[in-house]
Parts: sequence; C-alpha cells; structure tokens
Amino acid sequence: MTQTIAKSFVSVRNLEKRFGDGPIVLDDINLEVKSGDFISLLGPSGCGKSTLLKALCGLLEITSGSINIDGMTPENAREIAFFIFQEPSLLPWLRVAGNVELPLKIQGASTENRKAKAEKMIELVGLSDAAKKFPWQLSGGMKMRVSIARALTTSPKLLMLDEPFGALDEMTRDRLNEDLLKIREVDPFTAFFVTHSVAEAVFLSSKIVILSANPGRVAEVIDVPFDFPRSAPLRESTEYLEILAKTTHALRAVEEQ
Amino acid sequence: MKKFPISNILMPLLSSVVIFSIWYAAGSFIVQDRMNQGYEREEAESIRRIQIPYPVEIWQAIVDEKEDMITAAQNTFTAAITGFLTAVCLGYLIAMLLASSVKLKQAMYPWILILQMTPVVILAPIIVIWIGTGLQSITIITFLIGFFPIVANSTMGLVSTDKNLVDLFTVCNATRSQETILLRVPYSMPYFLTGMKIAGTLAPIGAISGDIFVGSSASGGAGLGFMTIVYNSNVKIPALFGTATIACLMGFIFVGAVNLIHWYALKNWHESVVNRNK
Repeated sequence: MTQTIAKSFVSVRNLEKRFGDGPIVLDDINLEVKSGDFISLLGPSGCGKSTLLKALCGLLEITSGSINIDGMTPENAREIAFFIFQEPSLLPWLRVAGNVELPLKIQGASTENRKAKAEKMIELVGLSDAAKKFPWQLSGGMKMRVSIARALTTSPKLLMLDEPFGALDEMTRDRLNEDLLKIREVDPFTAFFVTHSVAEAVFLSSKIVILSANPGRVAEVIDVPFDFPRSAPLRESTEYLEILAKTTHALRAVEEQ
Repeated sequence: MKKFPISNILMPLLSSVVIFSIWYAAGSFIVQDRMNQGYEREEAESIRRIQIPYPVEIWQAIVDEKEDMITAAQNTFTAAITGFLTAVCLGYLIAMLLASSVKLKQAMYPWILILQMTPVVILAPIIVIWIGTGLQSITIITFLIGFFPIVANSTMGLVSTDKNLVDLFTVCNATRSQETILLRVPYSMPYFLTGMKIAGTLAPIGAISGDIFVGSSASGGAGLGFMTIVYNSNVKIPALFGTATIACLMGFIFVGAVNLIHWYALKNWHESVVNRNK
C-alpha cells in the first residue's frame, strides 16, 4: 500500500460528486496514476467524464473523497497542470502569438521569455506561418493547435484534455493525435484525456478508464501496452485492433447496463 | 478591390435636386399667393423669407451671424463633449463596480434606472436651482442622457464573459485584477462601444435641448439652443435654419467620430467589423 502511494503521481480516493441536492454524478472513484501515464476516460454521455476532469483541475468542488496531485490539492496543483477545453477558447482580440503567450503573461514571465517560449511552441504545433493571425482567420484544427500550444507554454507536468478534438473531422483528428504524441516526446506530461472516440483513446493512451453512467463509476481499466513513441502505422497492427475490439466491447457492456 | 458604386453619389445627388426643387417651388408658390392677395412683390418676398428661407439666405444668415453662431457652436460643443466623455468614463467605471458584485448591482441598479426614467426636462429646473444656469448645467444634462446607455451596455458585456474563458483564467491561476484587465475589459468592448454609439448620438441633442432649458447668455455662454430662442423671438428665421444646419453638422461629427473609434477598436477581431474576404 505504501509503495503505491509513493509511486502515484495522481491519486483519487473515494471521490463522490453531486451537484447540489441532485443525484450522484460520480460515485466512489478510485484512480492511481503514475507519472508519465496517458489516461483516457471513456464512457456514455452523462457518465461524468468531464466532471471528473474539471474536479482534477479544481474547477469543480468534490462532494467527498480526496484528490492528491503530487502531494497537492487540485487548486495548488494548477502550478504544474493545464486544461485544454472542448472549444479552442482563444481570446479573439489577441493574435496567435498573444494567445499562446497568455499563461506566461499571467504568471508574470518577462517579455523576452514569453516571446521565445511561445515561438517555440507555435513552431512545435506547426503554426509558425500563422503566428500573426487572429483566431477568426484560422480553421477549427488550427485553432485547436493554438489551444494546445498555449497549454504547453508553461511546461505542465499534468495535462487535462476535455474532448479537444471532438468537433474536428477524422483526418484532422488523426493528425493532431499523432502530433500530440510527438509533442509529448519533446515535453513529457501526464495526461487525462476525455473522448468519445475509442480509436483515439487506444492510439493515445497507456491506460483506458471506462466509466459507467448513473452514477459514474469506474467499470473497467484497460492497459494499452504499446511503447511510445507511437506513429500512424500502429493503427494497422493486429494488436492495436485487438485492443480496439476489447475496448469497444467494454464500452458497449457499460452502455447496455 | 471592389469598385466604388457610382450610385452612391448619383442617388443622393438626384434626391437633393428633387428636394431643392420642391423647396424653391414652395417658396415661389407663397410669393405668388401673396401677390394674388394684393401684396407688392417686395412684401410677399419678405413674408416668404420668414416662412421658407432659401438655402442661399440661410447661408447668408450664418455669415451675418458668424460671431454669435461660432461662439454658440463652441459652447454647445464643449458642453456636449465634456458631458459625453464624463458619461463614458464614469459610466464604464460604474459598470465595472456593478459587474463586480451581484449585491452591489441589486442595490444600485434601481437608482440608475430612476435617474434614467426621470425626463431631463423635469430635472432641468432642479439642476438650475442647485447649480445655476450656464455651461456646467448643460454639461450635467448631457452627462445624464449619455450615462445610462454606457452603464447598461458595459455591465452586460462585463457579466456575460464566456464561461470557458473565465475557466481558462482560473486554470492559469490569474488574479482578480488580471482576469479583469486581460479578459473582462476587452470582452466588454463591443458592448461598451455600442453604448458609446448611442451616447454619442444623444450628446449633441442633449446639449442643445439642455441649453434651451438651462442656457444663459451671460458672459458669452449662449449655446445653439439658447440662440434658437433668441432668433425665434427676433423673427430671424433664416438664422434659425442656420442654427439647425450647424446642429446637424455637429451631430454628424459626433456620430462619425464615435463610429470611427468603434471601427478602429474592433477592426481586427470583432464580427461586426471584420472583413472576411480579406
């Protein structure tokens, strides 16, 4: 037991969440996550995936239980964590570079520092040519890249992603999945990733947590044993397809409950 | 680049010809009518000049009354711009206060509404009792008229900030003042500028009608509103038309300037002014 505590980077114990006097949304959630893990949260609509993610970032208060992130509360852990929202959530009056610099500006970093870091991140997501553009001039996929670059400027150790690619077409989504893993090789982070796409979850994750709905409970945890870095050809391997099938079955079992 | 449509100039020109024709036709009809009643042409013309002065006569009246009119226009402009700018600054500050606390908004909003609902015409004598006649009172009236649109619109903008963006700032550990300066204030700009457009349209009108009620000619303080009373009682009708012309010009200057500020502040990012074909 003590060993698990020492190893866990994020530890969720007996977490329960309800809104006001409403029904229980999340019930007895227990998760132990190692540093460097990429955790996908899969489950039917209304199972509380996003709620769990927001609780991990301290955007929502939990009703009971505890969340421990590297020895800190979620609020304090914001120093080392960042959140990528469903929508790109860019400030429309700032250019791409300005948006990417924003978290560093809030932290009070010097202008040169900010510029240098933002430039590097914009290059990493492949938007160097668009650095001076405004958000309305970008496509949906490009906006999401800006959002990713912005999240990475502070070099977070923990990244929460709330279905960030849900609104994008499949091609763009696959590209962004691959790029996200590439970025992770350069700038390693532990991730919680909410998604509706089984393929996306299998491709990205080291572990897939399947949640059941009403109330949200951990139904199954599936290990995805492939080594990182992963690249596009993995999607065609038999092992990948096996885990894809296994995950799909698990998800279907939960949805039929 | 799209070619400038020639009809943009041609059509107003055409309508001007029509309107000026009617104008002169109505004038000569009056003269003819009087002459049929047995008046001399000279007399008939002077009656016509009171009822329908021709544009040249209006222009002549402006030239004749140049000094009085320039002073009056300056006075009115000063009152309008001072009242307007005070309304803009104080209005936005109060909007920020209202947006910062629900309880404060609940406490203050009814009073702001009361201030807005009371017609300025009724407030005018009270203002005269408190402050006296003259420019300061006109400025206050202009302020009162422009104040509400600024407060109402800006408050709306400040409280309707995108929830996701607020969450983003929370995740960034932003302080309250960072959230205000970097997020809420820029987010409220389109709303604030809409309020400013309304206030800008009302400012010259407020300054002139305020002048009619609380204006004074003491120490050269007469504005355009006061001059209309003077010209009217002296039956200087072409000058009255001249005053209207100047007031109209001033309105255009105000609205034009405010529209320019609106365009300049939002040109890069806001849906209302962004050119998507660029």
